[in-house]
Amino acid sequence: MLLELKGVTIPTFDQKCNIVNNISFSVKEKSIHSIIGPNGSGKSTLAYSIMGLPTYKISKGQILFDGQDITNMNITERAKLGITLAWQEPARIDGLTVFKYVSLGIKDKSNQKENVIKALKTVNLEPERYLNRYIDETLSGGERKRIELAATIAMKPRLIILDEPTAGLDLIVIEDFLNIFNRIKELNMTILLITHREDIGMVSDYATLLWRGDEIITSTFPEVMIRYCAKAGLKEYCKRTVFQGEKTGCFDSDYIDRIFREEESK
Amino acid sequence: MSNIEYPKEILKSLEEYNINIKDFLPGHGKGAKLLLDFNKIKGMEEIEGVILKGKEIQNGIIADIIIKEGVKLEDPVHLCFGVNKETGVQEIFPRIIAEDNSEVTIQAHCSFPNATGLIHKMYSHFYIGKNCKFNYTETHYHGEKSGAIVAPVAQIYIGENSIFENNFTLTRGTVGKVKILLDIYAMKDSTIRSTVKAFGRTKNDSVRIRDSIFLEGENARSVLKMKAAAQNGGEVLMYGVTEGNAPKCNGHVECNEIVLGRGSICRARPFIRATDPEASVSHEASLGRFPQKWLDELKAKGLTEEEAIQILIEAMLGE
Repeated sequence: MLLELKGVTIPTFDQKCNIVNNISFSVKEKSIHSIIGPNGSGKSTLAYSIMGLPTYKISKGQILFDGQDITNMNITERAKLGITLAWQEPARIDGLTVFKYVSLGIKDKSNQKENVIKALKTVNLEPERYLNRYIDETLSGGERKRIELAATIAMKPRLIILDEPTAGLDLIVIEDFLNIFNRIKELNMTILLITHREDIGMVSDYATLLWRGDEIITSTFPEVMIRYCAKAGLKEYCKRTVFQGEKTGCFDSDYIDRIFREEESK
Repeated sequence: MSNIEYPKEILKSLEEYNINIKDFLPGHGKGAKLLLDFNKIKGMEEIEGVILKGKEIQNGIIADIIIKEGVKLEDPVHLCFGVNKETGVQEIFPRIIAEDNSEVTIQAHCSFPNATGLIHKMYSHFYIGKNCKFNYTETHYHGEKSGAIVAPVAQIYIGENSIFENNFTLTRGTVGKVKILLDIYAMKDSTIRSTVKAFGRTKNDSVRIRDSIFLEGENARSVLKMKAAAQNGGEVLMYGVTEGNAPKCNGHVECNEIVLGRGSICRARPFIRATDPEASVSHEASLGRFPQKWLDELKAKGLTEEEAIQILIEAMLGE
């Protein structure tokens, strides 16, 4: 396993209550693993905590990366081990060129330009149009997200945490982003995908459902989706979406009904 | 004029700003040039459409730089005002005139690499005619000993329907003591974009800049951006003034300053004033440290806190 969370609890800043409670799941190397759940379930909190942001310190539990305990490591140390995060709304740091920004995390400076060009191509940005552009207000939100993705890819990390990578994007470009995620996986990188959209999560091999700070299930994405819908009481929606996908034909209607009954009886 | 003897040390600081030294040397490149070494004119090269006149005085020069009517220059006019000495007084009185319908970029560089007690004063007058595009870029290098005292004063008149862009950068080496006073008068339909960047790196560095834009003509527009950082006890005061004195004029002042380390001081004073009921003037100012989120984003790319701050300074000051 590349990433393991063991009983992770993250309190609020004033420590009066917990944002996530006793979360344990593992992420396989070279997979896409989604964390799904409604707004406020603790998905982003968990993502920031895995990245090591100081305001998201865990109070209990352990985070292991490739078997190494990283619980007390800071962001930079975790990044150097091969963990990175692409923010939902990356900061617009005016004054840096796209080249400079994408190359920030490249360790091998000898092939810097080549790596930046490759990363830009991976996210479907034409290098000749973007390399010398400044990261300023002339870039759209979609372009900015692609540049952020390129910057993480250029680092050649082992684990990329994507925090709501498609938030605010047009429907027509979302498909393109899903292809990009698969391309990242083909580059032998692992993705931890934070999303509250089931259509985005369909790209993942595995998923974990968070519900009000608790971990409900970690399994294949369709199975997690059924449980998500059952929690939300969306039976018809569940049948429509889960059965629609060709890759999810392993669940019949009876199975879904049983899961819903289980949830209702809780 | 070529193969002149000009202290390379003065020009070398251009490289710090990624500017090609050769562009400033007479006999190279296509643009007009004027080079001053202390109080001696070391090189002057006119081109068609550009008149350069210089007269040496006791501590410096009086100079006229005239871009003739309708001339549109592809290559910048290069001005270099340098002093290789440690001490002394250099005074420059340039008059820069862009006649109507002209287009020009002037790249000026002031370099005092060995300054320990050197005074540089400049009293400039700019007259920009109608329908001009005028870009003035000035970079400074004051050595590493905080030993320069630099006090330029400029009066700038921008004619109707002209675009004036001003970029002042002092982000390499130490500052010493810098006090700049700049007044820009914008006539009808003119556009002003002025950006000032300075970095006080040591406790002996003090930057005080007062840039004023007076929107005197109808529909004149301006953006004044002042960006600075103070480190290791350095001190920066940015005083950005915009007055809206005509109908439908529109001005904005922005001051952003970053304080790094104890003892450093940043002060920002955006000052706006309107005397016409149809004028619109606004300002914003921020002081302090970089947002934690920005630092976290860069650290997630493997940078240390110090490296992240350097990158952000580089971005803010466009180093």
